Amino acid sequence: MTVMAGLTETHPDVVEPVTVAVIGTGAIGRDLVSKIDRSPALDCRLVAGRNPGSAGLRYAESLGYATTADGIEAVLAAARPFDVVFDATSAAAHLDHWPLLEPLGTLVIDLTPSKVGQMVAPTVTGTSAATGRNVNLISCGGQASVPVVHALAARFPVTYLEVVSTVASDVAGRATRLNLDEYVATTGHAVSTFSGVTDVKAILNISPAVPPATFRTAVHARMAGADLAAVRAVVDRAAEEVRSFAPGFEAVACTAVDDLVTITLQVTAHSDVLPPYAGNLDIINSAAVMVAEQYAARPDRASRTGVTS
Amino acid sequence: MKPVVIHDPTLRDGQHAVRHQLGLTALRRYAEAADAARIPVVEVGHGNGLGASSLQVGPAAASDDEMLSTVREALRHSRMGTFMLPGWGTSDDLRRAIAHGIDVFRIGVHATETSLAERHLGFLRDAGAEAHCVLMMSHMASPEELAEQAAQAVGYGAQAVGIMDSAGHFLPPDVTARISAIVEAVETTPVIFHGHNNLGMAVANSVAAADAGALIIDGCARGFGAGAGNTQLEVLVPVLERSGFATGIDLYALLDAADLAERELMPAPPVTASMSIVSGLAGVFSGFKHRVVELSAAAAVDPRDVFFELGRRQAIAGQEDLIVDVVAELSGSKTDG
Repeated sequence: MTVMAGLTETHPDVVEPVTVAVIGTGAIGRDLVSKIDRSPALDCRLVAGRNPGSAGLRYAESLGYATTADGIEAVLAAARPFDVVFDATSAAAHLDHWPLLEPLGTLVIDLTPSKVGQMVAPTVTGTSAATGRNVNLISCGGQASVPVVHALAARFPVTYLEVVSTVASDVAGRATRLNLDEYVATTGHAVSTFSGVTDVKAILNISPAVPPATFRTAVHARMAGADLAAVRAVVDRAAEEVRSFAPGFEAVACTAVDDLVTITLQVTAHSDVLPPYAGNLDIINSAAVMVAEQYAARPDRASRTGVTS
Repeated sequence: MKPVVIHDPTLRDGQHAVRHQLGLTALRRYAEAADAARIPVVEVGHGNGLGASSLQVGPAAASDDEMLSTVREALRHSRMGTFMLPGWGTSDDLRRAIAHGIDVFRIGVHATETSLAERHLGFLRDAGAEAHCVLMMSHMASPEELAEQAAQAVGYGAQAVGIMDSAGHFLPPDVTARISAIVEAVETTPVIFHGHNNLGMAVANSVAAADAGALIIDGCARGFGAGAGNTQLEVLVPVLERSGFATGIDLYALLDAADLAERELMPAPPVTASMSIVSGLAGVFSGFKHRVVELSAAAAVDPRDVFFELGRRQAIAGQEDLIVDVVAELSGSKTDG
């Protein structure tokens, strides 16, 4: 509960905005820009892509933001380092980006499943970036499942966890498709780290169904003597907390057969640019924007930035 | 006689019929029999492939490592194959399988999602392994779309590419059109056909595929597989031989292997049950069967109507929630009527 208190005490709209840059203009970068645009705490100074004609860059331009097709180089060439850089490229690209960004003292918020930075799931870890200048948002399935597996394992004798996410094909971009291995490894690592359960498995389905399937994550948990009502209460509480930053998050089903409990989580997107089924992008971007807003609200932020600029 | 390569996924696809519970003795016994029959490729694994043992689809009786090492030891002549779905297995699983001496990898993707295989086909190509790409639920894509997807797979490094008739929906002319389009698009790359027997067409479809230029044809002993089963291997091989295709397989040893499979791998060979015919006609994933029957019974609607409506809506695996919608709608309209 202390984590949640920390999240809700801050009012991002009363602080001085931090300067931010976004690298990556795919589906995730585009929604990120729209969410940054809505945040009074974040001042977007640059949107960097690779393809001059991309829809993501055109969208950022339409909102009046400076754009570039020079990618990370343009971010590094800025006269003053940005306070926050969001990396919405790919896990492999992030491995290249981080050593370049690290000397700038910038807070790097990584939306790829690179496993480089400190893992954040807002309702579980809080959003303070005090111990890491590189914050990793795990994965969409990680953001959906970690709050629930964390709560379950704290309360029940869980011996095995499996998280199976389904993402609609048309909101799974090329980086996501190339990063399935990293998705599986990083999501599994986060589920294990935040639950303390060592035997875990993560699976990702990309569904081409028409009409597109809403983002879902099934959590299968093995536990002796499962009490479904107690499980349901724990899951509902965790879901309520997640809704503080991702309002479309819902536990839609909770069933038990012998010692196997299955919880179905669904995320509907609340976004200016995403269709409602793209909850996978909405939840990870909402978490990322929240990390940046909380950073903007830190009293020591100015001195930290002052050291490096 | 034109040569074709027979690829035998009995010990992988058959797992679906027995909830992935084939034991190591069963794997070894069948692999030895298949090897004695000189079946070119023997595929093994969990039904959904490497890394797929899970509560989601069912845990396997043996680990991937145990299954692969057991079958490896049993094979003297046949090459060993395995299967993987990106997002279920990963490059780490492929790396381990390479260490076990896998000769042929199959990367499976939905018919219109070839880009999901880019990473793993490239990884296998760089590792020097033989990698195939198979497009599942291929009746949901047109011949042109499939040809485009197949060419894309070859671009990623696939050394063979083809289609699975996962719902058992095709009739021979459908197969001819699709295989012809793919062969034209990928030129010298071998083309694969994997049939299912929902409409009793698996062998005929396989012959149509070979006639249209497919060079790799899949078949399972006694058709071992989920629902109505796959193409029945011991029928397929002699029919292909009579149709002018050389398989290099020893007929008597093949029949012995099939007899052994019936005795030791399965409680009973697959039959074309009524609901399998309906799901094949509707072009719907046969894994929906259990839920369709259950939910239809509870709502007093005809499960056959539910299957046809799911087919009309192009439902695919993973969309089990759609069954609830369809059943509710059908039961509502019945009340109104």
